[in-house]
Amino acid sequence: MNTPTERSDALDRVVNPFLIELIKNALDTIADELALIIMRTAYSSIVRDAMDYSTAVCDAAGATLAQGLTTPLHLGSFYDAMRNLIDVYRGRIREGDVFIFNDPYLAAGQHLPDVYIVRPVFIAGTLEAWATTVAHQNDIGGMVPGSNSIGSTEIYQEGLRLPVLKLYAGGVEQQAIWDIIAANVRVPDKVLGDIRAQVSACFVGEKELSALFAKYGAATLRTVFAEIHDYAERLTRAEFAEIPDGVYSFANFIDGIGENPEPIAFHVKLTIRGDEAIVDFTGTSPQVKGGINSPVPFTKAAAYTALRSVLKSEIPNAQGFTRPITVIAPLGSIANPVAPAACGARGITGFRMIDCLMGALAQAVPERVPADGSGGATLPTIGGMHNGKAFVFVETMMGTTGGAPTHDGLEGVAHLGANQSNIPIEMIEAEHPLRIERYALVPDTGGPGKFRGGLSMVREFRLLADEATLTVRSDKRRFPPYGLSGGHPGTPSWNVVNPDGAAQVLPTLFKDVFTLHRGDVFRHTLAGGGGYGSPLERDPALVLKDMRQGRVTLSHARDAYGVVVSEAGVLPAVDVAATIALRARMASEP
Amino acid sequence: MAANLPDNLRIAADIGGTFTDIALMMGDGTVAISKVPSTPDDYSRGVIDGVSALLRDLEIGPGEIGDILHGCTVATNAILEGKGAKTALVTTRGFRDVLEFRRVRVPKLYDPLYVKPEPLAPRELRFEVTERMAADGSVVMPLDEADVLRAAESLRREAVEAVAVCFLHSYANPAHELRVGEILRRELRDVFITLSCELLPEIREYERTSTTVINAYVGPPVATYIRNLAAALRHAGLNGQLLVMQSTGGILDGETVMRLPARIVECGPAAGVIGAAYQARRTGHLNVITLDMGGTTAKAAMIENGALVRTDEYEVGGGISLSSRLVKGGGYALKLPMIDISEVGAGGGSIAWFDRGNALKVGPNSAGAAPGPACYGQGGERATVTDANVVLGFINPTALAGGTVGIDAKRAHHAVHTHVAQPLAVTVRDAAWAIHVVATANMMRAVKAVSTYRGRDPRDCVLMAFGGNGGIFAVELARQLQIATVLIPPAAGVFSAIGLGVAPVEFGQTRAYLCRLSAVDPGHLRDTFAALVQEVRSTLGRRLEDLNITYYAAMRYVGQAFELPIPVPSGAPGPDELARLRVAFAHEHERTYGHRSDSDAKVEMVAVQVVGTVRGSVSDERAISLRKRRPLARTERACFFGPENGVRMTPVIDRTGLSEQPLCGPLVIEEYEGTAVVPPGASAALDVHGNIVIVTTASPLTN
Repeated sequence: MNTPTERSDALDRVVNPFLIELIKNALDTIADELALIIMRTAYSSIVRDAMDYSTAVCDAAGATLAQGLTTPLHLGSFYDAMRNLIDVYRGRIREGDVFIFNDPYLAAGQHLPDVYIVRPVFIAGTLEAWATTVAHQNDIGGMVPGSNSIGSTEIYQEGLRLPVLKLYAGGVEQQAIWDIIAANVRVPDKVLGDIRAQVSACFVGEKELSALFAKYGAATLRTVFAEIHDYAERLTRAEFAEIPDGVYSFANFIDGIGENPEPIAFHVKLTIRGDEAIVDFTGTSPQVKGGINSPVPFTKAAAYTALRSVLKSEIPNAQGFTRPITVIAPLGSIANPVAPAACGARGITGFRMIDCLMGALAQAVPERVPADGSGGATLPTIGGMHNGKAFVFVETMMGTTGGAPTHDGLEGVAHLGANQSNIPIEMIEAEHPLRIERYALVPDTGGPGKFRGGLSMVREFRLLADEATLTVRSDKRRFPPYGLSGGHPGTPSWNVVNPDGAAQVLPTLFKDVFTLHRGDVFRHTLAGGGGYGSPLERDPALVLKDMRQGRVTLSHARDAYGVVVSEAGVLPAVDVAATIALRARMASEP
Repeated sequence: MAANLPDNLRIAADIGGTFTDIALMMGDGTVAISKVPSTPDDYSRGVIDGVSALLRDLEIGPGEIGDILHGCTVATNAILEGKGAKTALVTTRGFRDVLEFRRVRVPKLYDPLYVKPEPLAPRELRFEVTERMAADGSVVMPLDEADVLRAAESLRREAVEAVAVCFLHSYANPAHELRVGEILRRELRDVFITLSCELLPEIREYERTSTTVINAYVGPPVATYIRNLAAALRHAGLNGQLLVMQSTGGILDGETVMRLPARIVECGPAAGVIGAAYQARRTGHLNVITLDMGGTTAKAAMIENGALVRTDEYEVGGGISLSSRLVKGGGYALKLPMIDISEVGAGGGSIAWFDRGNALKVGPNSAGAAPGPACYGQGGERATVTDANVVLGFINPTALAGGTVGIDAKRAHHAVHTHVAQPLAVTVRDAAWAIHVVATANMMRAVKAVSTYRGRDPRDCVLMAFGGNGGIFAVELARQLQIATVLIPPAAGVFSAIGLGVAPVEFGQTRAYLCRLSAVDPGHLRDTFAALVQEVRSTLGRRLEDLNITYYAAMRYVGQAFELPIPVPSGAPGPDELARLRVAFAHEHERTYGHRSDSDAKVEMVAVQVVGTVRGSVSDERAISLRKRRPLARTERACFFGPENGVRMTPVIDRTGLSEQPLCGPLVIEEYEGTAVVPPGASAALDVHGNIVIVTTASPLTN
């Protein structure tokens, strides 16, 4: 029987060129397995249905080797966090430990609801790897149910802050930490259940990694781990080298916070130089007195997500991928806030930074970038008491994309930054005092273009409890999704309470919770996607099809696309002569 | 000769992408097999021609044949090729876009240009009617029948061929759906109508709607196919009952399948697993991992305590998926039970290539049957897994054993040399070994998806390998998983047809039962089970005493999204049995996920299920053995078993060259339909059931 070292020599001779593929495959399999365990055992819908969590396998230095990624904006979420942990606990990391943390300032986390559970893997007494998880908890305390208040001005208001702590110390469970969490969150059974799912995923990760080390030996694995980073770097550099060198700038906005919103600007300057990329957010608005500041690890994740989305290779989720990328975010800006800036609802900022960077990338690689979409999860959150019990409903509502270089925008397609699900209506109604009254497309809302933007999606919630609080973090009302290459913007988003009665339009990103009463209807309308290319170039047959499908009305076909449809015959038909004439007239108008 | 044959003759015909496997099953378990090309323009022609030819060869008259067992791809193909019926949906007002929105999640990250599949019922054919139920089944808004009549008028005008009806919360109260069904069936006599409450009375509206729409969409083509096949069989003098394989691995009469065609959509890989389960039971192996490797993919499934593992989370046409669990959204959601099979793009035709980071990859692109691997000499240029296996000496260098496919070893060497060895700067042999090992690693993920991902330890299992290429990789995979024993069953290359022959006649029915375990009323549960038994019984058209009935409850901790199926000991569990159910659930949860909740954690039922199996439809007493054997001459050739073992002169034998006395590897076992490799350190024997038994002991080959 060969010893691992001898075997590794044999491997170096012949197998080395593809050993990386084997071990990468094994690490991916482990990371996926952890993700699967969390998905199937999680208690809260935000984890199990929205899949707002990630898992990773890291090397001894905490650098991510493989990520079982279910949410792209978690790409890179372990990088700074693990570096910080290893710094803080240098010399005090022991076999049998499990660490827990969430704080963006003390622990390089993302925001307080994202709780990290990580476990060191020791082989023959030496720290060799980490099994790591992060999951968005249903609630972590603070001012509002769900802990994602836009109105908070300091992180102290946002819930329980956990610096890096040992949840297990040398194999011994630290009951005090469980008790503190249970006392500070609104739905302890769900939160503790989800954390326990994370812990068991880490234990499985440790077992699987140990088996991998037993099989290949530590020496071989250390070499291959380093090679995996190099490999990801090589792939990324090869891709950047193909993109034309240049400086590509773009600006995008969040409507602003509250009743009289001041637009929040994002300015990005993307520099492609040879096989490297520099993403510079200089000029972006200063940090704000609201919960939407983006801690710098999250800003980096947004940049990585946008860049990766235009690269064609299957790049492993290994940290080496980021080596050719530099992200610059000025300290004190909304993209790199200083403590104690609030950041519970920073997701919207991440989505907007991706949207902004995609606008810059559209200039560099126009054939790979669609127009803007509805912009990521809006997190309608409704909570209160019902029949003597607290309830919190949170949903990652999203799903309209912009027109693309080769096809129309779509509805029911997740944002690039967060591949999340809706929650089944029947499950919502079985578990919460809510009735969903409509979940549908809204006609004429897609930005006109040669390829039309996707339509607005609308969801209406009726409250069946006496009273509940409502928060929602949707914008894109004053700055609706942009079009590209001559395509028009989509229609704005709206949030209206009782649209069919004493209608009340909610401000964008309102700070205070809104109180709903029994029977109230909350209508949540996402923005329509931007169009791609001139609407006057749209194939009239597609406009006719849109009409037949109720996506576009007769008058919108005429006004937006210059397509005249006659309903005189048995079936509606395009009036070709009238369409040519109308389009000529529209083209000549300024 | 015919006079001596037992009278219980059954024909099994399983249609695959390239070949149709046919088996004549005799009463004593002997089997005569044949493999004929599939005929995609009309698959029934290939079946009839193949069966007729086999019967002629054996001098058996068609009148002697009883049941005809059939596995077909008509439903799957209708979806994959977009050739289903013109299908409409009738749903609750405000919700016609549920089908199109899906679950929002997409199957691929970082793809801003992703386009999802078109809904099977287009928006202009999705009609809303006024009605509404609440989650507890109470009526929020009564059904507006005038709306239904208006919808019926539009459906007639649009000349739809099929209609799916799915209302919110119909699993809790089906009254509105049933009434709409009555009206539509009266108004639209020749239209195929499916109600979600009849097909899948379970919670989660998108999955239920999608499943109902799939049933409608494939209904007319499946009905046409089965009618035509039945007529053609009768015309050929075969008057037995036509039984069709379902995705669960049970077979069902053709008439019922025509009503519930969504149940056969994923039957393709099921028959092989059924065959494996049968053979495993006979040989006394309770825990088995199956490996079915053909030209394009490798599929793995698990048999646990002699029983199949089933899932109801699946998407049709989602592409090759490791396991459908983490990559949802690529296909059409189908929430009906099927055998839990994971699939990876690693077959004989899978192509080796380098990505931009210079890592060697194998698959998922496949050279398929045309042009096929380079060694087929039919225009394939790229190096495939089969080419690598020819270079390594594992595959016959002149022809696949049956002689139907010629092999040109020079072309294999050339392809591996040009496309892999040169870029890696290694020898052709080392390059071929690299392809072989990377393909093995891909298959490992499929096996892990059905075992370790579910908390099951592969070391407790034997690996049963079949399909043309299964036996080439089985020992290596087994060694890496520390599995001690590999079984290659008789007729491994046409094992799907064997599986059809041993599949039970079976029907299962599920119903939503959302209720805390502590609040379950034993009387109500008993009545629910009884109603399901009645449904199962009448579908199967049998008396209760002819059926084996099993009961299940899908359970979870309150707040979880996914359920685990837990067997319920009887159809009338009392308080003690319900209490034991909680323990059984906690145990299963711990086994699957590694932890259980505190003893006072709340447990709830989500659905209950009854499965009925016709007694005596399968006899475990019969051994499977091939009727005809043509012994091959024993030869030798050089095989490369990796850097540690090097090149070894290896005896090439066929199954008849084995006995109960083990032979030590290296060995290559060539058969009409497939090849098995016994590397150095392993040994092979033949057991009394006709299986090749390979003991894998020794360290893994690769390292």
